[in-house]
Amino acid sequence: MSSLRQVWLVAAREMRERSRSRAFRASVVVMILIVVGVIVAPSLLSSGSAPRNIGLAGSVPTDLASTIQVQSKASGMTVRVHSYSSIAAGEEATRRSRVDVLVVDARKLEWRGQTDEKLRGVVASAIQLVAVRARATSAGISEQDLLAIVAPVPIANTALGSVAGRSKDDETAAMIMMVLLFISITTYGNLVLTGVVEEKASRVVEVLLARIPARNLLAGKVAGIGLLGLAQIAVTALAALVATSSVDSFDVPAARGAVLAWVVVWFVLGYALYAMVYGALGSLASRTEDAQSVAGPVQFVLIAGYFVSFGAIGSPDSSWARVLSFFPATAPLTMPVRIAMGTAAWWEPAVALALTVLTIAGLVELGGRVYTRAVLHSGPTLKLRDVWRDHHAPERNVSPGRAASSGTARSPRRARRHSGSVATIARRSG
Amino acid sequence: MLEFDRATKQFARVAALDDCSFVAKSGRLTGFLGPNGAGKTTAMRAVFGLVELDAGAVRWNDAPIATAERARFGYMPEERGLYPRMRVRDQLLYLGRLCGRGRVDVNRSVNTWLEQLGLAERASDRLDALSHGNQQRVQLIAALINEPDLLVLDEPFSGLDPLAIASMAELLATVAQAGATVLFSSHQLDLVEDLCEDVVIIDHGRVVLAGELEALRAAVPDRFVDIHTRGPAPDWSSLSSARVVACHDGHTRLRVDRATDLGQVIGLARHTADLVSFAYQPPTLSELFRDAVAS
Ligand SMILES: Nc1ncnc2c1ncn2[C@@H]1O[C@H](COP(=O)(O)OP(=O)(O)OP(=O)(O)O)[C@@H](O)[C@H]1O
Ligand SMILES: [Mg+2]
Repeated sequence: MSSLRQVWLVAAREMRERSRSRAFRASVVVMILIVVGVIVAPSLLSSGSAPRNIGLAGSVPTDLASTIQVQSKASGMTVRVHSYSSIAAGEEATRRSRVDVLVVDARKLEWRGQTDEKLRGVVASAIQLVAVRARATSAGISEQDLLAIVAPVPIANTALGSVAGRSKDDETAAMIMMVLLFISITTYGNLVLTGVVEEKASRVVEVLLARIPARNLLAGKVAGIGLLGLAQIAVTALAALVATSSVDSFDVPAARGAVLAWVVVWFVLGYALYAMVYGALGSLASRTEDAQSVAGPVQFVLIAGYFVSFGAIGSPDSSWARVLSFFPATAPLTMPVRIAMGTAAWWEPAVALALTVLTIAGLVELGGRVYTRAVLHSGPTLKLRDVWRDHHAPERNVSPGRAASSGTARSPRRARRHSGSVATIARRSG
Repeated sequence: MLEFDRATKQFARVAALDDCSFVAKSGRLTGFLGPNGAGKTTAMRAVFGLVELDAGAVRWNDAPIATAERARFGYMPEERGLYPRMRVRDQLLYLGRLCGRGRVDVNRSVNTWLEQLGLAERASDRLDALSHGNQQRVQLIAALINEPDLLVLDEPFSGLDPLAIASMAELLATVAQAGATVLFSSHQLDLVEDLCEDVVIIDHGRVVLAGELEALRAAVPDRFVDIHTRGPAPDWSSLSSARVVACHDGHTRLRVDRATDLGQVIGLARHTADLVSFAYQPPTLSELFRDAVAS
């Protein structure tokens, strides 16, 4: 049977068994809900569409109501204006929250609770405008001149992000993507880790390895769990895409389709890189309790990568962020941040991708070797050093007595080998 | 035919296999014996490439063993283990398909074996919901699922009740009769004696005795005399060529050489007591084993 088929059978088992678990299904739903929630919630909360109510009472200039309408439209608010015959009636309506603010005698604003600054600005400028118009008329200034004088100066409002062309919202989007990448790589990497240790602890690994090579078992495991993770990430990214397109006010370049596609690619790369290491380290432990301690170092590297990538959101074009986005251990988290923030030139992700792929190839070779050697070893947790030493400088501590006593019955070849090692031992002790 | 050719494996301080050579023939049951730490498990693992030999080789039908050949082998490791949370049927299907067989084909085998070992109604239970004995049975099916030409079982009888032992023994005999090579290790020598045509005894990684059991027994120069007497015990010390192996309640087992005059033995017994029964036999497997391992 071809290796590929074996790898596929192992991968298919991983996917089938794991996707059956309730925990997995729950995590898929939760991740989608979080992402969609983060995208949709702000536009629901800050919906300026709900009309505000303004009450007028006392002596009211005739054009105040219409001026308030004009002013509020200009600042993107919809308001309804209600007139009350007496101040008492107006205040009563305010107390009952029928109006948000009551304008008394065009001089005083009465609020139900806290002052709404935006609404206050609209009403106050309307009052000013009406007053200025009345004074201008009495001063003999024509309507046209007045309009020219009081024509508003448009003032644009922009929140400056860390880089040109990207806003605070982009930083948030990049951060969310990076956090999700980190969570996914850690989660699925850990599934590989515990999967390997569980197979070792339950001893099923001996049954499996009697049938297929260790390399295929590890490859299948990494592939199966990875495909499952990829499916989850892809579904989440798709949900994000649908959510952004359904919220029309959403204009965040950091969450566009091309960036999301890169996020998926970097998940695959980051997962493959770390899963190989997790798998190899997992084979060193014999009990599930030892899994976490054995994976400590790689966990540390991953968390360090998370924090530097967090920093990279604030300064994505700094030289250190640039370097880390090429370094294979941090690239899967840092490069997507730089792509989202628009500071990566087109060739940069390509080069980082090539470097990471090369590293993965090396790790497959190295991790596969460690796994093959360590996975059948039972007893206390192995050290990487042990795996290396055992197989590169095999010790042959044959006791001299034993070799001598059984020497006569032996073939010349064996006897030679034994006397050779006796000589070695003698040399060592001498 | 499975052949070990001067297989050698050295662990840090112990020689687990030391120039170990023997064969297990097809169509026969071969008992693989040896004291604890003799190297049995190491030898069996070497068949499946789970242990890399330092020197020597294991061959199947005169050819070195590669992954393709192992698809036709079945193995029950000393340390039993399957996926505890996986369903019995899924598990067996998976293991069968890993040997390269088609789904339909494996499914048929799974059903047959589950039926035969009385596990058909547990097929969709998780493995860890089964009793220890039933888990052992699933483990056996896992070894048989590809209808192997070579079946290697490491202490298949350990932890089984007498009924299960009998049915396991019967099953192994059937598999061997169908033409497969069956090699199994065991410390239950009486059972091996009843069951096996061939035995291999190793100690400190070296083969100390190997061959057809009957021939091995016949080849030993000593014979054993079992005498049951009633009345005062005879004085065996006057027999120069005999040694008392065991003696209790009128049952005596003597070790004699082949030239011993049996008439003299019977006469001595009748001299003081009534003779109830008398038997003259080659050594049992246990005696062969003890002699081979002691020397
Ligand atoms: N992975 C290993 N590392 C170091 N020593 C080992 C290893 N595996 C086996 N040994 C040693 O090799 C020797 C042979 O062990 P093996 O398990 O093959 O014996 P065995 O005949 O199966 O014994 P038992 O009847 O107790 O199962 C023992 O001394 C054992 O300690
Ligand atoms: Mg053993």
